Amino acid sequence: MRPLILLAAISFLTGISTAEDLPKKNPEIAPITAKIETSKKAAETSPKNSVLRVNVTSQRYNFRLPWQKTSPNSKRTFGALVAGNRVLVTADVVADATYLEIEKPTSGEKITAKVEGVDYEANLALVAPAVPAEDFFDGLTPMSLDTEAAIGAPLEVWHFESNGNPLTTKLTLDNYDMGTYFLSGSYFLTYEASGTISYRDGSYTFPVAKNGKLAGILIDYSSSNELSTIMPASIIEHFLTDLASPPYRGFPNFGIRYSNTLDSQLRSFVEMGDTTGGIFISGVIPGASAAKAGIEEGDVITNIAGHDIDSRGNYEDPTYGTLSISHLVKGSVFAGDTIPVSLLRKGKEMEFEVNLIRKEPSDYLVRPYSFDRAPRYYLLGGMLFQELSQDYLESYGDKWRSRAPFKLVYAAANQEQFEKEGRKKLVFVSGTLPTQSTLGYETLSGTIVDKVNGKSIGSLDDLDAAVAAPPENGIHRIEFSEFPHQLFISEDAANKDEAEVLTQRFRIEKLKQLN
Amino acid sequence: MFRTLLILAFAATSAFAETANSFDNIVRIENAAAVPDYSSPWNPPRPSGGSGTGFLIGENQFLTNAHVVSNASRVLIKKVNDPQPYAARVKFIAHDCDLAMLELVDFTPFKGIEYLEIGDLPQLDTSVTVVGYPIGGERISVTRGIVSRIDFRPYSHSGVDNHLTIQIDAAINPGNSGGPVLQDGRVVGVAFQGYSGNVAQNVGYMIPTPVIDRFVKDVEDGRYDLYVDINAATFELVNPAAREALAIPKEYDGLGVMVGSVDSQGSAGGVLEIGDVLVSIDSNPIASNGFISLNGEQVNMNEIVERKFAGDSVSLDLLRAGEKQTVSLPLKPFAPYLIAANQYGKRPQYIVYAGLTFQPLDRNLLAAQSLGNQTVRYWFNYFVIEELYQKRPEPVIFTRALADEINTYIAGYSGGLVDSVNGQKIGSMKDMRDALAAAETAEGEFITIRLVNEGRPLVIAKSKVAEANARIARNYGIREPYYIAE
Repeated sequence: MRPLILLAAISFLTGISTAEDLPKKNPEIAPITAKIETSKKAAETSPKNSVLRVNVTSQRYNFRLPWQKTSPNSKRTFGALVAGNRVLVTADVVADATYLEIEKPTSGEKITAKVEGVDYEANLALVAPAVPAEDFFDGLTPMSLDTEAAIGAPLEVWHFESNGNPLTTKLTLDNYDMGTYFLSGSYFLTYEASGTISYRDGSYTFPVAKNGKLAGILIDYSSSNELSTIMPASIIEHFLTDLASPPYRGFPNFGIRYSNTLDSQLRSFVEMGDTTGGIFISGVIPGASAAKAGIEEGDVITNIAGHDIDSRGNYEDPTYGTLSISHLVKGSVFAGDTIPVSLLRKGKEMEFEVNLIRKEPSDYLVRPYSFDRAPRYYLLGGMLFQELSQDYLESYGDKWRSRAPFKLVYAAANQEQFEKEGRKKLVFVSGTLPTQSTLGYETLSGTIVDKVNGKSIGSLDDLDAAVAAPPENGIHRIEFSEFPHQLFISEDAANKDEAEVLTQRFRIEKLKQLN
Repeated sequence: MFRTLLILAFAATSAFAETANSFDNIVRIENAAAVPDYSSPWNPPRPSGGSGTGFLIGENQFLTNAHVVSNASRVLIKKVNDPQPYAARVKFIAHDCDLAMLELVDFTPFKGIEYLEIGDLPQLDTSVTVVGYPIGGERISVTRGIVSRIDFRPYSHSGVDNHLTIQIDAAINPGNSGGPVLQDGRVVGVAFQGYSGNVAQNVGYMIPTPVIDRFVKDVEDGRYDLYVDINAATFELVNPAAREALAIPKEYDGLGVMVGSVDSQGSAGGVLEIGDVLVSIDSNPIASNGFISLNGEQVNMNEIVERKFAGDSVSLDLLRAGEKQTVSLPLKPFAPYLIAANQYGKRPQYIVYAGLTFQPLDRNLLAAQSLGNQTVRYWFNYFVIEELYQKRPEPVIFTRALADEINTYIAGYSGGLVDSVNGQKIGSMKDMRDALAAAETAEGEFITIRLVNEGRPLVIAKSKVAEANARIARNYGIREPYYIAE
């Protein structure tokens, strides 16, 4: 089962988008949507024809000592074979992968694989053979998608025993809901299903079938109440369709915070008259879709893309019934789409065309997540400068909210306040390696940097530039926003420490990582 | 961090005294306390109690710890060989150094008993005797040990103050609090805190004589004033590059600390600057780690200021851009840091309006209610550091909603910091009360309360307030709509 991963919500609906450094899309990918249509002819449907195992070894960067990685660990999961001899798995399995293979559960035969496309926000990844291996897939049948699943529909979890015998476990679809798949800021449609899964063979996730077609991926199972959470085929279809016509656009961020309008006192206050539905916009995220379209805090949104919004932020979906607006502005649209939004501003009806955009992780002051890339850092003498990221905060463990330096936790929750100061990133001293040039500075940790050698620091690139110029009297002056407000590092002593202590003693290969 | 520090008073049990031979001037103190309820601030205080030790230092002057007699409603003093409890009252109480002075309503029973004399700072590795009424029996107890360490340590009673402290290895236990630590028949300390046995072995702490002397002198004028401070933080200067950049001449090698922050409203505000290098305090050279040599002991430079009173001055030699200057700082009390101090013997302030409960942000509130709101935590943690007190001297928190139809949809916003009422910025409880009153009589249908970092206003229809207030007061037993200390 998917381990519980705590990632902070930037805010409700702010959303987090896919990794910017996806492997380059392979232009060879066939138009998968087309094949989904034609593969209906496949006759025999069984796990042994369409489910493969994906084995992944991954290695996460150490966000406290960012020049090194943590120890590698291995995961395995069942994935569904889809058109083009690709295997569909969840993104959390392939995050920070160093080695992948596809395995036939029936025979144990393996081939080396690679990640062809990944969306961490939607928690989906497409795995392909590293080199063409048509023979390997002989006799296997790609699964097509079934995006319609009514409440009460029988579902089957497709998996294998360790000896290679196929297993189908029956579940019943109970409910539609909105939930997170992997990253906690991203809300998506989920199926809730009930039924006992007694054998799991160490797999992360499982393909879920309905009448032999792929209805979703089981991403969470609670053995205590026997409830499963399933990522539905409609989101998978969105991912595959998007991937089939590069460039990948992904799921947009609407970028609002809202509250319900059940309170009649609030309704009168914002002059909603005798309207019934609508949500009160309690905040807009700068740079996201809603703000760019001109939607403001205090507005009351009453209709999105032709759907009336009720006072709790739900609408009637033709397929799934009552559903949160998150699905309207994220799950069922593509970045780049434009949707009409109706709202009330001081009692006046207004219409907006909202161009849905996606904020990249690098667009945030505090990077919401990073996979498959080295963290940025800069070492001066022994002083370690980093840009604040959610990963850094979470390196303090599950209780990072109380254990990480408070000012950094606060900054991550109030990024706009720091962006207003002109910062693109929040540069801070995360620690100090004991060297001669940093003598006496060992206690410094989590202190936000304002200036270096008189220049404002809005990112590590600024720091790099500020340190590159010869400092006055050969001494770098680093200024902080709080105690001790300033410290000094000798350029000569730092150069010596970098050459002798950091490179030799600590064997740090790169003294800065700015890519 | 110092959660494990135990305060050494303990809950009272019944006492039966037998005749003993001496220690007539060392008494048992029983405190029936009335503890304020910061969680339901409109409630009367909760009865509680405990006991400790005290000793006679002058005509009707009994010294003990502040924590022994905090929130007192009835204080009794018992002599070592006398079953009769005598009514006493707290004359002076100093929470910042955990000392209190008591007096008997009628001193007659103690007439003629010798006073204990306050001695000097004892030397390391000399033996001391602890006398008091700790757990483990009813009669007086005597234990012995040596002076293990003299250091600057936190005093856990207030939670924010650091003073000179002496560590001893004599067994001191709950109930010893406030009792004398004796050397050659004179008092060299007041036993007050320690560690539980599963944290550290044989570590007990006493309040040494410089702190006792200061307290006794402070109250001579009939009232206790708080400690004063420079209100600037210093950073040690061992890094050669820092010394070079700050242009510290060679003759000061091994000396000097850098001013790393200054509270603009404190004693050093407007005088000291970031980057000043302090090289001596009242003519005592300051080592580069911030220590000075005082009577042969290495102590924190703050010890000089520790022994002074509001209105006194401290002289500092400093280097600014390599130039030596001498400044004389008049010392004054600085209240904002008290937001983080435990408060005792005060009635909690509150406002209940339309079922919304408002309370000032302070340590007592945070101890009583877990407020996870990041904005509130920021205001608490950075109140002094970022001088937020200049904007809101007494931050007002919407702590909870007493469920009622008028607030059912806004109860979920509790835990936030109040920004404004109908556009009026709120900096104190008094502001809050006045703004609510003004809003009631002003134009418009609504009272709009805005919270910091929350876009959704809390809107209350004026037409419903009076009725709701009456209903809520009745249902929840709130006798007064607010209590604000004037």
